[in-house]
Amino acid sequence: MNSAAQVLHARGQPAWSAHAALACAMLATGVLALLAGAVDISIKSLFHDADAVLQRMILLEIRAPRVVLAACTGAGLAVAGAALQGLFRNPLAEPSLIGVSSGAALGAISVIVLGASLPILQPLASYSLPIAAVAGACLVTLFLYGFSLRYGQFGIVTILLVGIAVNALAAVGIGIFQYLANDAALRTLTFWMMGSFGRASWDTLIPAVSLMAVSMLPLFALTRSLDLLQLGESEAFHLGIDVRQVKRCVIICSAATVGAGVALAGIVGFVGLVVPHLIRLVLGAGHRYVIPASALLGAILTMLADLLARTLFAPAEIPVSLITSALGAPFFLWLIARARPR
Amino acid sequence: MLFAAAGSVQAICEPVFDSSRIAVAGGSITEILYLLGAEERIVAVDTTSTYPATARALPSVGYVRALSTEGLLSMQPTLVLGEEDMGPPEVLAQLERIGLPMVAIDEEHTAEGIMRKIRCVARILGLSQKADALILDTLAPLTVELDRARGRAGWQPLAVLILDARSGTLVAAGKETSGQAFLRMIGAQNLFSDISGWKPVSPETILSARPDFVIFSRPGADITASEASSFAFAGGTDVVAVDTVETLGFGPRTIKAALDLLVKLQGRAQPDE
Repeated sequence: MNSAAQVLHARGQPAWSAHAALACAMLATGVLALLAGAVDISIKSLFHDADAVLQRMILLEIRAPRVVLAACTGAGLAVAGAALQGLFRNPLAEPSLIGVSSGAALGAISVIVLGASLPILQPLASYSLPIAAVAGACLVTLFLYGFSLRYGQFGIVTILLVGIAVNALAAVGIGIFQYLANDAALRTLTFWMMGSFGRASWDTLIPAVSLMAVSMLPLFALTRSLDLLQLGESEAFHLGIDVRQVKRCVIICSAATVGAGVALAGIVGFVGLVVPHLIRLVLGAGHRYVIPASALLGAILTMLADLLARTLFAPAEIPVSLITSALGAPFFLWLIARARPR
Repeated sequence: MLFAAAGSVQAICEPVFDSSRIAVAGGSITEILYLLGAEERIVAVDTTSTYPATARALPSVGYVRALSTEGLLSMQPTLVLGEEDMGPPEVLAQLERIGLPMVAIDEEHTAEGIMRKIRCVARILGLSQKADALILDTLAPLTVELDRARGRAGWQPLAVLILDARSGTLVAAGKETSGQAFLRMIGAQNLFSDISGWKPVSPETILSARPDFVIFSRPGADITASEASSFAFAGGTDVVAVDTVETLGFGPRTIKAALDLLVKLQGRAQPDE
């Protein structure tokens, strides 16, 4: 116990400077993401030019909510990824790999499709969509957890196989809704599934970001419990952790975080996998460092991915998940190669 | 630059204040602008604007239902002209807040609907006289000819319209689709008028129902020999291919395309006469 505490504290100094550096980098990325885009915006003309009304509006009404959504979704996915990896004691637990994102997408898609045929739902769409997405994510996470209780601790391979099965099940549900959808809803779905932060606006952003913030905060408070859980559940229990309470909290909070993000942005893959791993490589596995640093790095990487998505082929845009997955999937392969004994 | 009036998506065909720089979302609208000789006003198009070929060289702001707000604004349009299905709604709401004037043109899948669409676009741009002349000279006579051919005695074939199908799945036009509307234009009865929307169908269903025609709608209207003969043994079923944009786009070329196909099919149906 003593040595474990020492190890955790020994990294204290560099960890704080790393956090400070990440926070600065996040702010810098945010400013870059605000200033770069298809429309040229110069800081000078914003303040001095009377004709810059349109540019100010683009900055405040279009780019700012988009950057905030990207940052929050990225932070949320990375924190949820880190917490789920801690909970399952498995480094490959990633919201989109194990099916949590698909569950959220299934919930959201049911609202898009059913909402199109039930006009009564239409005015409620801004609330029913996030609620359905969170419910879908919760359902999948609870199922995964129940499955792991029933059949014991997941090995790395098992969790991926279960993830494949859950994703396949969600795909069936999504497929049914696609089959039911009319032409217009179908084409909306196709692009919605690929993820984009371009739909952000302040009025939909504020409830979703509030939900993400509220559901992310408990995860920051649970870092010590997550650390002790790594020793095993009974060990953690004897060290004074209310294991059931912790698990319930991690499941609901990470599902709500992912669900709120998916509701506004669609599926953004691999952020929850790549970010916590990068942080662990540098700062070690202590959750008190991994979780806050993942939030910062997740925000940075997602803002950068969105910046690429909207500038690479301007004036058109590509789905942001194409970028995160193009970077994340090779990283995933590298992780597998690294983990295999030669 | 700031726009005079607060923008919102309108569906009315009224002249706009400034149509000097137009961003287009929808292939048929692009075709209409070219037809009216207003192509120099186009500053950006969407990815469905593939005809005429020169339209493809214009900056693209994405797929008609996945437009990019900032990408659109970066082309500094004074007007967004789109099909009624342009979107996503969130992007339109953003553009609305910026105050960019947007008009979504009503879509109606008939020859008359096409002419109304052309008149509507022309009225918005202040080119009504030109449109009236064009319609009077070419499209109205074509429609009359189409109506006459369609009304020919005994012409009531059963047909299937298949979308693309290069992936191997046969996706057929059901009710409330542009495909069924096109079949109606050529006076054919849709075998799949009971299913709603575009749905994958089994070749066996088609074979056992023995439609008179199987029409493949695909870009370029090319068809392989094996596809052409794929339904041949079903007893009298004829396979033809038409260009997707030309037929299902319901733009200025669609009336002519329908007439051409109708004449071709009537020629094939009665080879002995």
